[in-house]
Amino acid sequence: MEITRQRFCRLDVVIDELHALFEEWEREDALLAHLDQQTVELLRLAVHEWIANLVQHADFAGRSPEVILDVFPNGRRVRCVIEDNSEGFPFPEQLYVQQEALAPLPERGMGLLMLNAATEYFEYSLTDDGMRRLEFTVSADKDSWLDIPFS
Amino acid sequence: MEATTMNFTIEPVTSETVVIRIGKALDFRNAADFKAAAQTQVRAGIRSFILDFTDTGILDSTGLGSIFSLYRQVSPMNGQVVFASVSRPVQVVVQLTRTYKVFRQFSTVEAARKAVN
Repeated sequence: MEITRQRFCRLDVVIDELHALFEEWEREDALLAHLDQQTVELLRLAVHEWIANLVQHADFAGRSPEVILDVFPNGRRVRCVIEDNSEGFPFPEQLYVQQEALAPLPERGMGLLMLNAATEYFEYSLTDDGMRRLEFTVSADKDSWLDIPFS
Repeated sequence: MEATTMNFTIEPVTSETVVIRIGKALDFRNAADFKAAAQTQVRAGIRSFILDFTDTGILDSTGLGSIFSLYRQVSPMNGQVVFASVSRPVQVVVQLTRTYKVFRQFSTVEAARKAVN
């Protein structure tokens, strides 16, 4: 099983770097080439939403930002771990609030819900060395959807 | 005449319809620009928007929210927002959020033009 680790330090370019990386991974014989396109795109979306959340809302308390992305392809699943040195979020509580507060055709507040919908499982925790850690899996076998009110 | 606003190219079709070429991304970085560009068009009397996703590799929750905002604005005025030439990454978001229930999709911009006018 091939595993990859990427480290990002600049929030102003992290999104561009991330998508360039995915394009590389999707090439023939690369890390994610064995997965169907739907699963790869769901993985890309979930990672994008979380890192976008960090860029927009994370408090790094004056520290130089550090974001570490680990990807573990495993058959029809991909496990993904994203660690960062921010102060963290009350993620499960925030997810619940977003779910409850979702207005019809919402302009904001869908990011964590989309991450939740795209993933099979996720866990948010604090590591022994003080990093915030989001771990999730994306599966080719999950029927992923988010129930947005349209009226 | 085409106008380019930030990452978006806006092409008039009729006095009430434009094509907006979304470009590489519609996400949290440029969603406010999209809203502002669309708002200018609405003020100028545009009611039908064809969003061309041919080259779009990123549509995130904030980008989608800005499209919802446009739809909420024009639909009470009998306006419409349709998707054309939807790229694979955008299609995944459309399927995940089931927004195909709200936005009609066309395989090409030309097909959208014919249907909208």
